[in-house]
Amino acid sequence: MSTQYSILFKQEHAHDDAIWTAAWGKSEADGSETIVTGSLDDMVKVWKWSDEKLELQWTLEGHQLGVVSVDISHNGAIAASSSLDAHIRLWDLESGKQIKSMDAGPVDAWTVAFSPDSKYIATGSHLGKVNIFGVESGKKEFSLDTRGKFILSIAYSPDGKYLASGAIDGIINIFDIATGKLLHTLEGHAMPIRSLTFSPDSQLLVTASDDGYIKIYDVQHANLAGTLSGHGSWVLNVAFSPDDTHFVSSSSDKSVKVWDASSRACINTFFDHQDQVWSVKYNSTGSKIISAGDDRAIHIYDCPM
Amino acid sequence: MMTSFGWKRKAGEKVSKSVLQEFEANAKKAEDEGPSQDDEVDWMHAIKRRREVLLEDCAAKSKRLIDEGSLLAEEGRHWEAINKWDEAIQLTPDNPLLYEMKSQVLTILQEVFPAVKAAEMAVKYRPLWWEGWQTLGRAQLNLGEVDLAVRSFQVAIHLCPSERSLWEDDLTWAWKLQKQQLAVKEKIQEEEDTKNQIINAPELEQDYDFESDEVVAACMAVAERQARYEELKRTTVVIDTEGNITNMTSREEESEQTATPSKEQFIKARGL
Repeated sequence: MSTQYSILFKQEHAHDDAIWTAAWGKSEADGSETIVTGSLDDMVKVWKWSDEKLELQWTLEGHQLGVVSVDISHNGAIAASSSLDAHIRLWDLESGKQIKSMDAGPVDAWTVAFSPDSKYIATGSHLGKVNIFGVESGKKEFSLDTRGKFILSIAYSPDGKYLASGAIDGIINIFDIATGKLLHTLEGHAMPIRSLTFSPDSQLLVTASDDGYIKIYDVQHANLAGTLSGHGSWVLNVAFSPDDTHFVSSSSDKSVKVWDASSRACINTFFDHQDQVWSVKYNSTGSKIISAGDDRAIHIYDCPM
Repeated sequence: MMTSFGWKRKAGEKVSKSVLQEFEANAKKAEDEGPSQDDEVDWMHAIKRRREVLLEDCAAKSKRLIDEGSLLAEEGRHWEAINKWDEAIQLTPDNPLLYEMKSQVLTILQEVFPAVKAAEMAVKYRPLWWEGWQTLGRAQLNLGEVDLAVRSFQVAIHLCPSERSLWEDDLTWAWKLQKQQLAVKEKIQEEEDTKNQIINAPELEQDYDFESDEVVAACMAVAERQARYEELKRTTVVIDTEGNITNMTSREEESEQTATPSKEQFIKARGL
């Protein structure tokens, strides 16, 4: 067990161009740890994390333009990817084969997120609709309307009750999934919200914006619980730790920051990337962090437990 | 007065004349005040202040040149505009706006390579500015660098996906061109491969018993491949007005002679 934050592993030149997205999953079947990355080079890559190093398992070809977002189902068996080619693709992580390709319509495939039961994939659309696709059917099954602008970011609450979306104009919407009702509209930021994430207990929502701030909301009362500054440029991605007390953020200022959720203080800054850091995620236990960005490198960090 | 020139962003439009005058007045004031403050005994501060005044001076002068250049560009006096902006670049070499505007005007002047170079400087100094990437992509497209243009437009969209023109005009068009280029490239490659196989026919690599049917079979294969090559040569990649790609075989030259292996070709094949 590590007692301090440190960089553990670097995979240089992981893709042929900027890495825009990464996800970390764990297989329910064999307990193996899988990392999926998506890049401007049109590729989705699947990596195995074992013995403290990354091993390339699959290079998944199919997307015809840059890959904007990836996510891994909660049982670790399926990956979803969305691309500027307007398609959402589902991949079998075991065999490296494409399961489905869904045409989301032009400009309508951005962040993809699996529902907690992994039966659905949500993605935002340019007209402010959250479209929800069935994993089994491969079709759009329903949609939630924010009546707002282009939706950049999507997150399900782990308890399956809420879905939050962040728009390009800085507006946050929180839906009740059971009823499909829009519960709250928060005018959190005046600039694009590129990422948002719920805490594991579904009590807090953390948002990241081009305004350089991170905000924390109390989900139930839709109250602003805190505004965090520290990044020198756009905050591109946020992810909550499974330990419920930390979250991590990445920025175009090339840094990755770890924050304490209760004190709202930045407790560590990694300055290891050469360029913008587009994606940051925790592993399933919260002992590791992955980051990736424009420098085409994947970094893995150790976290004290 | 700024309506004649229709480029996508008019750099000077937000600067009213009064602001400009105030700017110039301030610059002048700074100039006037500068030397008088040098009389103070605190040299350390004086030098520091002097440098600040100089920097301020550069920024103000550059701003004036930018505005002058913009007015010239509006009037269609493109080269004069570029000269002004080059002067401004000397004063403020890290202003991305200058390079981006210069790139647009160079594109108008069909100076395709310098336009790309200028836009590259714009995105170097402001990598998160989608408009810089759009201008770079357009300059690259003019240079015929379709792959690079597709990349630049994607970067621009990734920074600002709500900008419809990037999707509908820039990326759609560049991506179509990229697919067309690829289709032509593949066709040329196929033609090349077939040709190479005629010259180095795999069937003729082994030794044959001269009397056997194998020789005839090998010759048939070579001749068929030759016919395929002839057909490929007559096929052209046709891109219609809507940008759809089809392979067309020209009709007039089509004859039975090339469609079925002729006797003459048998002799040719044996001669190898």
